[in-house]
Amino acid sequence: MNEEKLLKQMVKRNPVRGAAATRRQVLQGIGAGALALGAGGAFAGRAQAADNLAMLTWDGYVDPRVLDGFTDTHGAGVDYEIHTSDPDSVNKLRAGQTEIWDIINLNNPWAREYMWPEGLIVELDRARFEPYFDAMLPMFKPPYKWAMSLDGNHLLGVCQRVDTFDFVVNTDVISAETAKDEGWDLFNNPDMAGRYGILAYDNWNIMHFCMAAGIHPFQDKTDEQVAAFEETARRLINGAVAITGDFVPLNLAVVNGEIDGYISGGTYSISSARLEGLSNLYHVVPRSGPADGKGGINWIELSSVVNNPDLHPKAMDWMEYILQPDVSYAVATAGGILVPVGQMSQPDVMAKFSAEELDSFQWDEFDYRIEHCVEYDVVPDYNRLYDIYTTALREKA
Amino acid sequence: MADRTQVPTPAIRQPGILWLLLGWLRSPGVLSATPVLVFFVIGFVGPLVIVLGFSFTPPRTFDLGGTFTTENYKHIFTESYYISFIWSFALAGLTVACNLLIGYPIAYGLSKLFGRWAAPVMLVLVIPLFVSENVRLFGWYIFLIKGGGILAGGLKTAFGIDTGTLLFQPGTVLMAMIYVYLPFTLFPMVLGLSMVPRDQVEASRDLGASRFQIFREVELPIAMPGILIGALLTFVLAVGAISEAKLLGGQNTPVIALDIQHEFTFAQNWPLGSAISVLTIVVTGILVVLVMRRLDLDRLLGRR
Repeated sequence: MNEEKLLKQMVKRNPVRGAAATRRQVLQGIGAGALALGAGGAFAGRAQAADNLAMLTWDGYVDPRVLDGFTDTHGAGVDYEIHTSDPDSVNKLRAGQTEIWDIINLNNPWAREYMWPEGLIVELDRARFEPYFDAMLPMFKPPYKWAMSLDGNHLLGVCQRVDTFDFVVNTDVISAETAKDEGWDLFNNPDMAGRYGILAYDNWNIMHFCMAAGIHPFQDKTDEQVAAFEETARRLINGAVAITGDFVPLNLAVVNGEIDGYISGGTYSISSARLEGLSNLYHVVPRSGPADGKGGINWIELSSVVNNPDLHPKAMDWMEYILQPDVSYAVATAGGILVPVGQMSQPDVMAKFSAEELDSFQWDEFDYRIEHCVEYDVVPDYNRLYDIYTTALREKA
Repeated sequence: MADRTQVPTPAIRQPGILWLLLGWLRSPGVLSATPVLVFFVIGFVGPLVIVLGFSFTPPRTFDLGGTFTTENYKHIFTESYYISFIWSFALAGLTVACNLLIGYPIAYGLSKLFGRWAAPVMLVLVIPLFVSENVRLFGWYIFLIKGGGILAGGLKTAFGIDTGTLLFQPGTVLMAMIYVYLPFTLFPMVLGLSMVPRDQVEASRDLGASRFQIFREVELPIAMPGILIGALLTFVLAVGAISEAKLLGGQNTPVIALDIQHEFTFAQNWPLGSAISVLTIVVTGILVVLVMRRLDLDRLLGRR
């Protein structure tokens, strides 16, 4: 039915049928186009938001099942942009794009530590949304730290995707237990040079290099610790066979024996391959490390409503819509990348996952992973460490 | 008889500069070009001006109206960015040189020898352009990867030969760049060679020129505009290449586009990213101007 409607619209817009336009009309059209362009992005943004919800997001919410479902139930389409990094999108809002976007989905620290204090997002109705937290995994019990403002009085978003992200090994070569015991020292071992890759998720690389250097990534660093970070970063980068921003080539390299593992990886990067039967790709969270005795890092995504002066009327409905069981499952399996969601404590959500899907994101040891991780946070001295990181990449031996 | 010398010559009023400018602005050519000029200014000049402006703002700021500083440029010259510049320009130069060597015989065949087969051959060369560059490079990745890769796996299965790793080396990046940019060198070269009149070649042969002399003194000078345009186009595109180094090179070959990407994304240092971009544009621009000085566009376009 929709296809038929679309075809009719296309026929109506057939440019050949309207080809009798005069030269004056054409010039008028060009002039109007130039004016529209000159009016800038804000003009385009408002015109767009008049019909569709506008969302800055990670990839979990752009699955057609999620987007089409919202259009079907709430009668509004969704326009989106996928981030390259959390700060990238926060800076867009800081630069005045709060007038364009309605929803923003970021990792846990940004809402409470930056966006709320800077007035970039609005609070949610606790009476409406906290019952959803009650029904989530125990770690999300309200008031859940990362969803609340620093003073604990305002609810800033809803949580969904959650997991850990550290490193990946080929268990045909390195056993999972050995990797867990050795932790980051596995990559500090000179014997591993030339046998691993790096997934270039730059901000994660910074955190993981801190862990490998024996430094808590989320605490202020002394000059000695920065020097240790530099030594570790250069050594790990020089020892890497390949550094790439796409996990598919790295998974292929592991499977084909180019490398035995890679730094900065997790169920997010291997679940689709594991679902295809490559269960020797294994996400490892170290048993111990320098961050309060822990060596792993876990992330939680938080969706918030932007402080848009002309907020889309369905923005709050979106926040509630994504927490429904069907949508939770779609978010957990979006785009073929499978990761746990906080709603998996609910039997009707859990029932939607097959045994293979649960195994793809190593659900059997989810509690172990969370227990051995510190929660993702903003890295103090990030700029200084990042400059060291990019210099090491440029000067890679 | 009147003394003509006494009659003052009436002064011819010279139009002022503003009057001339107004007249020029009202000319049909300028009026017709105005819509395109507006698009050009908004879509091309505008972003470049913004990038230039950002390159003089303090590091990690997002406000164009801030303090003026040359700190970003100082940072580039005092840090090791020269490594990326050298790699990018060297790879681009090598890509152009290899593509000229590979492309010339193909272009010669297409313009002089293939006859009715020229169109199908051209089609074969054009079809890959319809596929995304990333997809094509990923195809190379699967082809070259060790172990189960198409080349390595095939050689091992058929002949027991272990190729070792073929990926993540500068040579692989160069190979990929040659592959990706060959059409951009080739097609202008075909155009250039098709401008060589057969009569002139035959005349020079009749006058006793050797095949090499015909190539050097007849074909090459006439085809030179097409060759230079192809080389220029390829060079400019190749300087900005990034996917080849990221995917097939495993970032073992640092390129300048990667530095720019780092600064605009994870570093959120737009001013430094802008300064690197401006320097890249300036260096490329200087090289392009040097080449353009040797290029006679009037002759290329057949106006002379």
